[in-house]
Amino acid sequence: MSVRRKPVSTLVLRKLPVWIFMIVLSVCALLPFYMMVVMGTHYSEDLYTGVKLFFGKYFVQNFQTVMRQNFLLYYWNSILVAVCNTVGGLMVSALAGYAFAKFDFKGKAALFAMVVATLAIPQQLGLIGFVLEMRWLKLNNTLFPLIVSGMANAFGVFWMRQYIGGSVPDEIIESGRVDGCKEFGIFFRLVLPIIRPALITIFLLFFLWSWNSYMTPLVMISKEELYTIPLSIALISSEYRTDYAARILALSMGTIPILILFSFGSKYLIKGLVAGSVKG
Amino acid sequence: MSKKKAPYAMIAPYFILYLAFGLFPILFSLGVSFTSWDGIGEAAFVGLKNYKRVFTQDKFFYKSMLNTLILLAISTPIQIALGLFMATFLKDFFKKTRNGLQLINFLPYITTPVAVGIIFQLMFDWKSGVINAFLNLLGIESVYWLGNAWASRAVVIFMIVWKNYGYMMIMFLSGLAAISDELYEAAKIDGARWWDSFTKITIPLLRPIFIFVITTSVINGFKLFDEPQLLFNSVSQPIGGPDRAVMTVVMRFYEASFRSFEFGYGSALAYCLFLVIAAASLLLFKLIDRKKGE
Repeated sequence: MSVRRKPVSTLVLRKLPVWIFMIVLSVCALLPFYMMVVMGTHYSEDLYTGVKLFFGKYFVQNFQTVMRQNFLLYYWNSILVAVCNTVGGLMVSALAGYAFAKFDFKGKAALFAMVVATLAIPQQLGLIGFVLEMRWLKLNNTLFPLIVSGMANAFGVFWMRQYIGGSVPDEIIESGRVDGCKEFGIFFRLVLPIIRPALITIFLLFFLWSWNSYMTPLVMISKEELYTIPLSIALISSEYRTDYAARILALSMGTIPILILFSFGSKYLIKGLVAGSVKG
Repeated sequence: MSKKKAPYAMIAPYFILYLAFGLFPILFSLGVSFTSWDGIGEAAFVGLKNYKRVFTQDKFFYKSMLNTLILLAISTPIQIALGLFMATFLKDFFKKTRNGLQLINFLPYITTPVAVGIIFQLMFDWKSGVINAFLNLLGIESVYWLGNAWASRAVVIFMIVWKNYGYMMIMFLSGLAAISDELYEAAKIDGARWWDSFTKITIPLLRPIFIFVITTSVINGFKLFDEPQLLFNSVSQPIGGPDRAVMTVVMRFYEASFRSFEFGYGSALAYCLFLVIAAASLLLFKLIDRKKGE
């Protein structure tokens, strides 16, 4: 410890800019959320008369208005799409990652190079082709294209290969073989439990990407009963102009619950992002 | 299944899905880009005409490219600086409250982009927005943020920075964790102040992170769509806001493909966008390599 202690006042003074920086930025980060939640609790007409900084009394009425607009259906669509897309993508990535990490097979290097090469391709490149393909299969205006879009995720395979290569000991796989397990049995019963943290990370990342996705549903879905949350938020915002406050409440209801859920998993999510985000 | 065949069965789902819903659409788009087609009638082969049109006749393509570059050039340094300071301050001065502060500043990054656009539209509203109310409080007149070209660019830049600095913070925190504390201790013994350590140790050692975040900023900047699109969703503005000042390249692609239903031309735009991103990344890598050589 230092021998000469500096007077408290100079210490505070030196730290002051740091504190101001931290407070201003944190307030800026939260302010938009606060404004959104507050505005959803007022009477629509009142929102035009001036800025509302505190909660109003119109929450229940606005909530009822939102509920009359199929909002739960949009939620269900979003959850269905995100869960199917994520679980499917997770399995596909983990299986391929495991094969690339723990097996030697002909053409392995070339096949893995193909996976890596697709990392840099933006999704928009094939969007028109994807729309035409789905129309041709008569699958546009279903949730199918949203579920399979991005399910073969190069980043997922790449990440899983790294993780499995570093965390699953070869002895465990060998012992499984000695015990007479089938190769897929080894994967499901021995490997999956070991890589649980990686599965959570990839689950959260894929879920986030799927949940937030806007352009694919926008060009693929025109039936209202198939809207996802981002689509409904975007289209509600231009259609229900009469009930401004209800529309803002719908916005909060579409974003805040998922943010809270992700806050609990943020450690895993951050791990995945740090590992080298290529998307999003 | 034998040990020999099993790996092929394991990678099969990925490759089948990728061929069906990734590679096939990409190649299909390439084919469509040589045609004039609205997706319903007959497709007419037009050769390279669409590509010629992108580079020689489409003034909105150049405008959107310029807009994207302006937004990128201003927002990238700001968000990187904020993220860097945030990360170092959290590590050096906020050890106890670090987790909470980190989460708060990370929230904008995971918020649905569509919602971000609408929230900012509300906050920057001319009449009922909180930003103008705050300016009035300081005695400054209301600004018509979403009705003026440069003002709406400023809003978009603010929005990009708001959304991304938390991500930059996370990246820099991971980089900082890899720098050994002994270096800082040694510097302290030599009499270095916080700022000296910051400029002489932290910044040089974070070099790989800088390279990574600059590259991702540029690539993601070229893909910008959801937020600016929604910012002008209901304020009766054309795509891209007033004077199309914030029309990004992806917005131009969306407009041509799915508003005018020029699938052939839209596909050509998508390929040009891909070429531009590839060229920009290559240029960045070249620049980084040359700097390394010095």
